[in-house]
Amino acid sequence: MAKVVITSVKNQPFASSEIDSAVEKAIDNLNYDFRSINNVVIKPNLCYYWTASTGETTDGRVVCAIIKYIRERIGNDVNITVAEADASAMRTKFAFSILGYDELCQKNNVALKNLSEGNVIAKTVKVGKAEVTLPFNEVLLNADLIINVPKLKTHNFIGVTCAMKNIFGSISKPRKYAYHNNIVNVIVAANKIVKSDIIVVDGLIVRGSCPKKLGVVMTSDNPLTNDFVAARIMSFNPKKVPYLNLAAKENVGETKNINIIEDGVKLAEIKKSFPHYSHRIHSISWGLQLKMLRAYTAVSGDVLPPFLEK
Amino acid sequence: MNILVKVGIVGLGHMGQLHMLNAMRVDGVDVVAGADKSEKNRKYAERFHVKTYDDYSKLIDAGELDAVVISLPNFLKKEAVFYAAEKGLDIFLDKPISRNLAEAQKMVGKVEKENVRMMVGVNYRYFPCVQKLKNKLENGEIGDAVIATSELVLNGPISHAVVPVPVPEWWLSKDLAGGGALLDLGYHLIDILCWLLGGFDVDYSSLGHKLHLPVEDAGTIVLKSKGTDVTGIVNVGWFSKSIFPEFNFRINIHGTVGFVSTDHYIPGDPRVNAVKEGLLNLMRRVAMKKLSYLSYTYYYSSFYKIIEAFFDALKSGSEFPISLEEQLDVMRIIDSAYRLNEFQISLEKQLDVMRIIDSPTLSPK
Repeated sequence: MAKVVITSVKNQPFASSEIDSAVEKAIDNLNYDFRSINNVVIKPNLCYYWTASTGETTDGRVVCAIIKYIRERIGNDVNITVAEADASAMRTKFAFSILGYDELCQKNNVALKNLSEGNVIAKTVKVGKAEVTLPFNEVLLNADLIINVPKLKTHNFIGVTCAMKNIFGSISKPRKYAYHNNIVNVIVAANKIVKSDIIVVDGLIVRGSCPKKLGVVMTSDNPLTNDFVAARIMSFNPKKVPYLNLAAKENVGETKNINIIEDGVKLAEIKKSFPHYSHRIHSISWGLQLKMLRAYTAVSGDVLPPFLEK
Repeated sequence: MNILVKVGIVGLGHMGQLHMLNAMRVDGVDVVAGADKSEKNRKYAERFHVKTYDDYSKLIDAGELDAVVISLPNFLKKEAVFYAAEKGLDIFLDKPISRNLAEAQKMVGKVEKENVRMMVGVNYRYFPCVQKLKNKLENGEIGDAVIATSELVLNGPISHAVVPVPVPEWWLSKDLAGGGALLDLGYHLIDILCWLLGGFDVDYSSLGHKLHLPVEDAGTIVLKSKGTDVTGIVNVGWFSKSIFPEFNFRINIHGTVGFVSTDHYIPGDPRVNAVKEGLLNLMRRVAMKKLSYLSYTYYYSSFYKIIEAFFDALKSGSEFPISLEEQLDVMRIIDSAYRLNEFQISLEKQLDVMRIIDSPTLSPK
């Protein structure tokens, strides 16, 4: 039975010691077997240059807590790499510095890797009847343990973004915007190629209609299982989220028999506190406004600012 | 329509494209051509039947122009201004005028030597809320100004567009950009404070690097007026994720009778304002009257107004509403703020050393 552990950091401003303790408890509850592990890759979500205070990117303190945990459980000689790939609008060379990951990795004596640089291997996998080929860095493919550290947040295009979408972010190709027309298949394919062993969700500050300090730390041993629970927290029906639905059909993980361990916090309470956001209403409203604007400027001869035209 | 000014657009990026669209709507102006290294940007201009070149020297050398709009990254501005001035073209230049004071002085010297004219696009002066604030002040409704506070906190270059593209790297280089939030955003605030309240000197400067960038992403500077005893405070930042139509800009002026704030005059709901202004423009269109371009966006209308003012001055031969002396003064203040900040940092380091020397463990017993 797949497992999801939910715990929380109660006191603001979320002291590092409390984050360490929450992460330790949450991973311990997974009862993961850490034997024979030499190379660990930690994949945070650094989707853009927005700091963790915005709820968009992984808080470095959660990554620090994981590094400490790994060293305690596996040993000080284990190779740990914190890794992220360039994105359509984000370059890791800036993001690592802006978001403090340069300093974090230096202080903790771990490697920091841009997954868009170095040896990239094209991997092909079947999703339904289609074959999907995606480029991944060998650092990720050769890892003995992949710890996926996503955010708990909503997304304008795909609704839910958590563990599975974070693996999409690890594809080496920087311009991932090119995959958006086929994003459902690509997210599922990416997760069939790169298997997250442990998921540690940074829900300290979540992002829905606005950022909110919820202090949640959630762990799981499967990204799909994790995202089914995450979707429910964000008030989405996971079966209606296309990539989760497809991933379930493709047996990426367990979605029916989930053992949810609520450690000092209730899932219902978190769900109630989450700043809910309907991406569908947003998309419809934004699309309608743009159509009206285009019609208005065409009829009146007024200027449409170029950034709205593209 | 009589064509009185033939203009070329140097740089067809986001701002150049907007200037092109605006210039096309100014009476008596013909946008002859544009230049940009990027094929994508050139294609955008060609959609509007504007001839394009891949190098601005070709555009200028074609000899068809009276003026150019220069909308280039900061590190390319000086060279382009020199080239256009040598060919006798009048110039509209995006703010900031340059990367630093010395460069600005050279550029102003060049346009004076070549006997051409240049105006810098400090469009914030044309925000309706700033114009109303100026009227209140000039009418004496708040008495004598004593303290002026100004704020502009945005995402700067760190904005995630609808179609995501990386931030151009020159923005994040001290050498290429000349500075960060102070030069980019503070330029507008300092320009407005000087325009409303006269000249200032820098009294205090503190620049921040919350985002660990080579250029400052936050800053507070305190200005003292040169004779009227007005204190001006400038707060700027690139650290906010907020995006348009949210716009974190305000100027408050506290006087001996009352106070006035730009917040008093901005529309409460940008969407309601957009609908209202859109309907007004449709009525103007039916009545064959001139539109109030971009007024539905509120802030963007300032870009039309300032470029219209530039062309109006060219057509009539009158003075530009924004002088180069004013822009040199803005650069002088920014230059002082950078130097004062560096001085304060070095002073603090020296004080730290003295504190260590004076600490009980090192002091002779």
